[in-house]
Amino acid sequence: EQKSTAATSDGEIRTVFDDPENFNVKHPLMNMWTLWFTKPPSGKGDNWNELLKEVISFDSVEEFWGIYNNITPTSDLALKADYHLFKKGVRPEWEDTQNKHGGKWAFQFKDKKAVNIDALWLHVMLAAIGENLEDEDDNEVMGVVVNVRKGFYRIGLWTRTVGKALPSEQNKGRTFEQGKEVLNKIGRRFKSALQLKENELVEFSGHTDSAHAGSTRAKAKFAV
Amino acid sequence: ETNKPVEPAQPTAGMQALKSSRFLQVKNESINYPEGIRSPNPALNLGNKAKGRQYDKDFLLQFQEVFKEKPSVDWDMKLKETVGDGTESARPQSAR
Repeated sequence: EQKSTAATSDGEIRTVFDDPENFNVKHPLMNMWTLWFTKPPSGKGDNWNELLKEVISFDSVEEFWGIYNNITPTSDLALKADYHLFKKGVRPEWEDTQNKHGGKWAFQFKDKKAVNIDALWLHVMLAAIGENLEDEDDNEVMGVVVNVRKGFYRIGLWTRTVGKALPSEQNKGRTFEQGKEVLNKIGRRFKSALQLKENELVEFSGHTDSAHAGSTRAKAKFAV
Repeated sequence: ETNKPVEPAQPTAGMQALKSSRFLQVKNESINYPEGIRSPNPALNLGNKAKGRQYDKDFLLQFQEVFKEKPSVDWDMKLKETVGDGTESARPQSAR
């Protein structure tokens, strides 16, 4: 009985901006997201699967900032480390069945000293969780990733398809032309989140191309 | 007295608020944000199909300095197990 009295007297909406210690509403995200981390290999024959660690899942704006404000910034990570921010239930590897037919947009920042990688990665994460990268029915964005490497930082955006309808979806959904147009639109939004100049090209490649090429230097299918 | 049991850390008020707060109906509830705080871009959330959970960058960035609570009381330990300090191995060799 006391409880219901408390509930009615507490009808007013308080956001984190009104009271960061006593707010009663939070801002929902469209999707639940999981943050993953790739530990740099120790050089002692580690299994890559053991290097990929699930850090935490979240589905509100407030939670995102609690995590972001209490985790190692990308600029402090060791070489060969990655952060991956993926929709919950999708492993950030091309072997995951949900990524099997997919690909990625990516850009390499080769002058590591000249870029503010922390700001770039933050802006890409905000575009992902704020759902600014795709339209509601596109159903393409799987996640975003930042790689720390010797000669560059790379930021990528993984998509569910390479523009083609998946085997299970033959004869429904988009034609290849439409599919490609959706991917290009997503690529342009990704490019704008990265604040790149028009002549700095973001390139798309399919995961299986990357796998078969035996390296990540697969031939780009298209660029924006 | 070194054998005293360690008191389990208590969640902070902010952690508890995050846990107990309910999801805002962004599309259906109008919020009076404090002065100086921008609302989520209404254009993003007004479509018939919009679920009201799209947020532009400028709206999201406003939270950065406002909410800094760790996700849980054991966060530091958890972080150590996953991310470590991020710098333990493959450290760039100093060329100098």
